[in-house]
Amino acid sequence: MKTFRTLALATAVSLVGVGAMAEGIFAPNLTYRTGPFAATGIPLMDGQKDYMTMLNERDGGIGGVPIMFEECETGYSTEKGVECYERTKANAVVTQPWSTGITLQVLPKTNTDMIPILAPGYGFSPMANGKVFQWAFNPPASYWDAASMIVQDIAAGDLGSLNGKKIALLHLDHPFGKEPIPVLEAMAAEYGFELVLIPVGLKEMQNQSAQWLQIRKERPDNVVMWGWGAMNAGAITEAVKTKYPMDQFIGVWWSGHDADLKQVGEAGKGYKSISWSMPQPDAPLLADLKTHVYDKGMSEAEDTNAVFYQRGLVISMILAEAIAKAQEIHGTGEINAAQLRDGLENLDISEARLEELGMSGMVPPFSTSCDNHTGHSGAWMLEWDGEKFVQASDLLMADAAFIAPLEAEKSAEYAEANAPWPVNESCN
Amino acid sequence: MELLNKIFVAPFADMIAAPDFLMQVLWEGLVSGVLYSLIALGFVLIFRSSRIFNFAQGIMVVFAALTLVGLHEMGVPAWISVALTLGVMFLLAVTIERVVLRPLVGQPDIILFMATIGITLFLIGFGEIIFGGENKVMITSELGIPTGDIVLEPFGGLLILQHIDITAVLVAATLVVSLLLFLNKTRMGRAIRALGDDHQAALSVGISLQTIWVLVWFIAGIIALVTGIAWGSRAGVSFALEVIAYKALPVLMLGGLESITGAIIGGLMIGMLEKLFEIYWGAPLLGGNTESWFAYVLALVVLLFRPQGLFGEKIIERV
Repeated sequence: MKTFRTLALATAVSLVGVGAMAEGIFAPNLTYRTGPFAATGIPLMDGQKDYMTMLNERDGGIGGVPIMFEECETGYSTEKGVECYERTKANAVVTQPWSTGITLQVLPKTNTDMIPILAPGYGFSPMANGKVFQWAFNPPASYWDAASMIVQDIAAGDLGSLNGKKIALLHLDHPFGKEPIPVLEAMAAEYGFELVLIPVGLKEMQNQSAQWLQIRKERPDNVVMWGWGAMNAGAITEAVKTKYPMDQFIGVWWSGHDADLKQVGEAGKGYKSISWSMPQPDAPLLADLKTHVYDKGMSEAEDTNAVFYQRGLVISMILAEAIAKAQEIHGTGEINAAQLRDGLENLDISEARLEELGMSGMVPPFSTSCDNHTGHSGAWMLEWDGEKFVQASDLLMADAAFIAPLEAEKSAEYAEANAPWPVNESCN
Repeated sequence: MELLNKIFVAPFADMIAAPDFLMQVLWEGLVSGVLYSLIALGFVLIFRSSRIFNFAQGIMVVFAALTLVGLHEMGVPAWISVALTLGVMFLLAVTIERVVLRPLVGQPDIILFMATIGITLFLIGFGEIIFGGENKVMITSELGIPTGDIVLEPFGGLLILQHIDITAVLVAATLVVSLLLFLNKTRMGRAIRALGDDHQAALSVGISLQTIWVLVWFIAGIIALVTGIAWGSRAGVSFALEVIAYKALPVLMLGGLESITGAIIGGLMIGMLEKLFEIYWGAPLLGGNTESWFAYVLALVVLLFRPQGLFGEKIIERV
């Protein structure tokens, strides 16, 4: 019994306290490699992990300090995500919640815990407003950016042409899926199109016949999908089944997963997905990954050219660049959470820097500032050609003039609802 | 007044105005209902023979489908993969009987129920280690299942019937008829029913509890494989399939836990009614996604009047 107790204690310490005991920068990742959303999560998280492994293997970490990149499994459950946040926050320099639901739950805690949230391309869109959300970052583009770019693509540059049209939003009935609704409703009112909301429950993700019957009944000109995990494959399969024109079907960036489209193959040709990342099979970064990670058997990735895997690489690059910037600003290798916040607020991912990193073309250039925590990089439209996603547009940019007032309004509402909420008025 | 119109007039006017669409809604409901019935059957069979509510039925669907696809990915021909998967499900049934159920004989029902939760958690972890969590493509064409569709034009409209859905309905119907024949016409089937009717009496006439348990868990495994192929063909094979098993819970509440007829009729009723409600009332009046709760409300209403479900046995206990 004593041996068992000792073993249990040792295991517990090794699981929970690694970040505290070892030297390095502790950057936990709240992953979802299990459960109904695992299909989306696994390639993303493989990409994130492989990039950090490469930095540790090739450069000995960042600024000579190893990165302790640990995963805490949430299964995409908000409750488990909050538990993971609480368990890892003591020594963490960042939290990566990986779900809009978890992000919304931990967001109010950030001002007191003083840990930056890094939510690349997800979370609450008004987090862009750094004056209000001093500890939250969602670079390089927000969901509202995505909605704006998708609507512009549908309008083919002429927003006036949307008048009288009908756009259906097929969305997961979850905080993530509801996130674009405010901006789409505002755009519908402004440009005169009708917005039809079609929610998909968690239990209905793989059997969306009712939703697609409704789409057949409503006859929308376009269907925009805000899907995650198993919902994507379910929707794409039903679209094919009901013969919905694929070229009128556009997904957000989490609905552009190669494995989901492989379910339908050639029949999915023409389906589009907005994406702030672009797979670059010949990027020099991939050669470094091969040398320092793949060849050493340190990667679990199945397809290193897939959209989601390479997006995972970009996400870790953003964190790594923020750490490096924080080290530069504060003149220390072992940065803390508050110092990383400064790094995240001063990101400058330029063309030249991407070239240095061997990641040209993998993400549009962007920069963050005190009052701009998103960067609003813009994104490309990808299109499924029957076998893989290919680039289908030049870089699209969100309508900043339309989105900014809404961000200001919603962030002010949030601050008021969570008063007293500190606001950094010194941001310009 | 407008609300009353939306409830009592507009839906029926829509049905009359577009009868082809109504037929499509009913067809989709029928397909879903057949598949719900299949899952519910797995629960009923085990409950009838052992009074165990098998929480693991959902994960057995995932496990069977992943094993099939996983074996095929390893280069095993499709139909041999099916045979090997059935072998794996048989081994699983034997293991569950030996390792989990046999040591718990005589324990309260709740303990056995908790044990099936344990089996669920084990199969999730074991399945993820072996097969990973990524979405896999069901080997539909390799199994010879047709993938095209039949397009009809009733009343000058449009009705699309997928070959895969027709196949699912036919296979499920065949499976149900075979099960009913097996349970009613064979010695082993009668033994299962006897065990469900009266444990002590069945044991006293020499029916082997262990053999019957292995058999029903294996049959539940076969049902899980058929369900996995049918659902997996629609949107791929992943752990998300487990969630679909929860759709069987209101079917069981509605039809009764012991009744095979109840599972079939309950599944069909829920499948068709939830689609009708969602399309004609749920989406226009409540913003949609009523399928996530409609079946439970329907089952609760039935329970108010028939606590044993529509086809469950009325239990009379002397105090």
